[in-house]
Amino acid sequence: MKITLPPFYLLLLVILVSGCKREDNANTLSKPAATNQIRQAKGLEIYGYQGYSIVKISNPWPKATKEYTYVLQQKNAVIPDSLKTFPVIPVPIRTIVVTSTTHIPSLEMLGEENTLVGFPSLDLISSEKIRTRIESGKIKELGNNQNLNTEVLIDLQPDLIVGFGIDNNNPTLDNLQKNGLQIMLNGDWNEQSPLGKAEWIKFFGALYNKEDLAEKLFANIEKEYQTTLALAQKAASKPTVVQGAIYENQWYLPHGNSWGSVFVRDAGGKYIWSESQGTGSLSLPFETVLEKAGEADFWIGPAQFTSLKAMTTDNPHYSQFKAYRNKKVYSFSNKKGKTGGLIFYELAPNRPDLVLKDMLKILHPELLPDYQLYFFEQLR
Amino acid sequence: MAKTILHTQNLSIGYRNKKQLQPIASLIDIDLKEGKLIALIGANGIGKSTLLRTLTGIQEPLSGSVFLGQRPLENYSQTALAKQLSVVLTEKLPPSNLTVFELVALGRQPYTNWIGTLSPDDLTKTNAVMALTQIENFASKKHFEISDGQLQKVLIARALAQDTPLIILDEPTTHLDLLHKVSLFRLLRKLTRETGKCILFSTHDIDLAMELADEMIVMTAQQTFQDSPCVLIEKGVFNHLFADEHLSFDAKKGKFVFKNL
Amino acid sequence: MPISQRNTILFAALLLAVLFFLLCDLSLGPVTIPVSEIFTSLGGGQASKPTWEYIIMNYRLPKAITAILVGMGLSVSGLLMQTLFRNPLAGPYVLGLSSGSSLGVAFVILGAGYLPGFLGSFLVSSYGIVITSFLGSLLVLLAVLVVAQRLRDTMAILIVGLMFGSFTSAFVGVLTYFSSAEQLQKFTFWSLGNLGNLSWLSIGILTIAVAVGLLLSLASIKSLNALLLGENYARSMGLRYNRARLVIILATSILAGSITAFAGPIAFIGLAVPHIAKLVFQTSHHATLFYATLLFGAIIMLFCDILSQFPGTDITLPINAITSIIGAPVVIWLLVRKQNRLS
Repeated sequence: MKITLPPFYLLLLVILVSGCKREDNANTLSKPAATNQIRQAKGLEIYGYQGYSIVKISNPWPKATKEYTYVLQQKNAVIPDSLKTFPVIPVPIRTIVVTSTTHIPSLEMLGEENTLVGFPSLDLISSEKIRTRIESGKIKELGNNQNLNTEVLIDLQPDLIVGFGIDNNNPTLDNLQKNGLQIMLNGDWNEQSPLGKAEWIKFFGALYNKEDLAEKLFANIEKEYQTTLALAQKAASKPTVVQGAIYENQWYLPHGNSWGSVFVRDAGGKYIWSESQGTGSLSLPFETVLEKAGEADFWIGPAQFTSLKAMTTDNPHYSQFKAYRNKKVYSFSNKKGKTGGLIFYELAPNRPDLVLKDMLKILHPELLPDYQLYFFEQLR
Repeated sequence: MAKTILHTQNLSIGYRNKKQLQPIASLIDIDLKEGKLIALIGANGIGKSTLLRTLTGIQEPLSGSVFLGQRPLENYSQTALAKQLSVVLTEKLPPSNLTVFELVALGRQPYTNWIGTLSPDDLTKTNAVMALTQIENFASKKHFEISDGQLQKVLIARALAQDTPLIILDEPTTHLDLLHKVSLFRLLRKLTRETGKCILFSTHDIDLAMELADEMIVMTAQQTFQDSPCVLIEKGVFNHLFADEHLSFDAKKGKFVFKNL
Repeated sequence: MPISQRNTILFAALLLAVLFFLLCDLSLGPVTIPVSEIFTSLGGGQASKPTWEYIIMNYRLPKAITAILVGMGLSVSGLLMQTLFRNPLAGPYVLGLSSGSSLGVAFVILGAGYLPGFLGSFLVSSYGIVITSFLGSLLVLLAVLVVAQRLRDTMAILIVGLMFGSFTSAFVGVLTYFSSAEQLQKFTFWSLGNLGNLSWLSIGILTIAVAVGLLLSLASIKSLNALLLGENYARSMGLRYNRARLVIILATSILAGSITAFAGPIAFIGLAVPHIAKLVFQTSHHATLFYATLLFGAIIMLFCDILSQFPGTDITLPINAITSIIGAPVVIWLLVRKQNRLS
């Protein structure tokens, strides 16, 4: 007996040591314990490693039940086995399909607009550079976002499709994945803070190996925003603001903590329903809004209306508001792209600095005498 | 000489089915005079209802004419006709909350204003006919709360309230027991005597009709007869009323008898 | 017909109830306005807060007036239909009128994409919807009348009306199949009814239409009473049946058609209120029923309007939901009662 034991133990030892060694390798590889490159956005995390980066999307839609992790792999890089359970995407991307106009400015700002090969509802895009490409047939129409044209996509074979979901049910994207296409979820639309939304340019930066450029661009925007924010503190007054408009007998307004309302606060205004919390819209009867906000100084974002007359034609009650009578109604609905897409929806998430300046110019024009409104227009 | 209220000339009755004519009976010449109680009898399907419908203007004659007074029936407007002729039918009334009084008062419609308000005169007449038919006791009851026999009287009262020289009843005794049959006939007779109206009714109760009616209109397959019961018996009209060997008319007894059953 | 003491008291109570609910409707809502302010405002003065003045005169008063017109008009037309067709389940829409309206409005809201540009945008405006709704119900009415001329049997008209209803609903179904979510939502909102948002001009037009309809109904009272005994007796009493039927159908169409055009299809009121009037007054006499139905209709509609803007809260419910919630139990209860009475 004594003779057989030692070889057995030896074998065991060898196995254990080699196992340890493997673990060790893995540990040493992740040891640089990369820091999260993201500082403002809450739903995005990017970790850079030698040869690959890890992108984590949490909260891509309200009440999301899990986190989505992607590994962006450089050419010929080695990915640790522990990460192979996650989708691995080879970068840099050469061709891309995106599904929301909010993705477009990032491509353009990074100089990668020529990689865009397909988009659902092309008419929504306002960017002039991309419109030129559309007109020369370089970007394929993919139907509408709820029902992407699978055949065209398979034919197109883009390196990546950047999609988004609104709830846990995404049959279209699941279907595309089954057909062998590479999908990546983007949660920029569910990001609540202005700077948080803008930081999602880094999502695209990682896809094109342009992390440094993305950081530089974002840092610039961040700085402009902070400067304007500081300037807003100097305002002497705090004007009151009402938002939204009536649709089918109910007045819909944003909640106090929504992305749009934050700008009002940051620009030194008081949104009348700033205390309300929640996702989606607040819906109130007209009487309540008149009672509480009839004397508001400013009216920001009266839904889709493009003129004062259009408002009262739709509903004569609007003329009861002080903001209306004083013609202090500001909307972004007038600024449209060539084919009718709203510039605000496309660009504003990436340029919160401009939105804040617009807001400051509206609420406290004396603080920005030379600035011209970029997104908003005073309704006539 | 009693005044003629309604008479027919060469009347032929039946149905018009698209282009085809379906005659039921023809060459009918009858004369309804005031103050007379007249019974209309005949075998099932012989055309009694058709005749009544033609006389009341609901159905068009195939040929010949009906005269009310001196004028042909077609010349009367609906309202004018309603002042000449009223009906009592067998059909069940639609469900409603009408009281006996309200039902009788509806008979005054040809005389009331555009909205149907009852004048003092209308009220008097309504009360009078209710007294005549002895239904005052249940004037405020709902019409569905009284018995069939009482309802029959109420419908007669309504026709009386309409104040027409001629009242036509379609088989008024069908669902009544013998006691009520007799009672009804006696009421009708009393009405002709006291109001001078002419009352025409169709019935299957031939025996009672023979005893109580002033005249009878008998429809057979060949011809339509009108005369007093005695004369009709004499003429042997009833012998061929029913085409059945087991049933014959006994002139002496003045009634139908069975034989060889 | 001597009006008994009981009836007099009931009518007095009903009139008071109308005033009471009118005041409640003007005073209650998401914003509660004291009744004294209502009186001041209505009396020509100014309420203490300018927003209150505006809300009372320009928002709640038009809504309350519309509620009264709708309540009166639909209830009376329901009464007419129930007597004409001798059917307790008949209502103002039994001739297929609301289906015709729906079709007209569906063309506009759901089918606007298929129409040439300028026509499409005009029609989607509020006046466009009123006009097409009215035209739709008129079309169905004409179809029913053409068929009615050939039919002696009034019951057959009922069935024809229902069939036209199904026919137009099928068309609407096809249109909804090809529509966007936004269009469907807009159409659904229309179908749920809306008493507010009518300009004073619209209310003026509606008032005239309802007045004409009610006058025609008043003129039909004698015919309706005669019809209580059935068509044959009615004719024998001098009723020109075809003419009477035509007037009744016209009255119903004007009432139901105009109300649906301005306020959308409002369910159950036309069906339930005549029954309530009949139960309370225990009579079939149509003069009494006419006034009773008018007053009950106004009261119940005002009550439903109060509930739809739930007082003190920010909750708003569509008017059709309220009328159905109140109307359905009433109808069921009535049927049960009727069974008990007959058996």
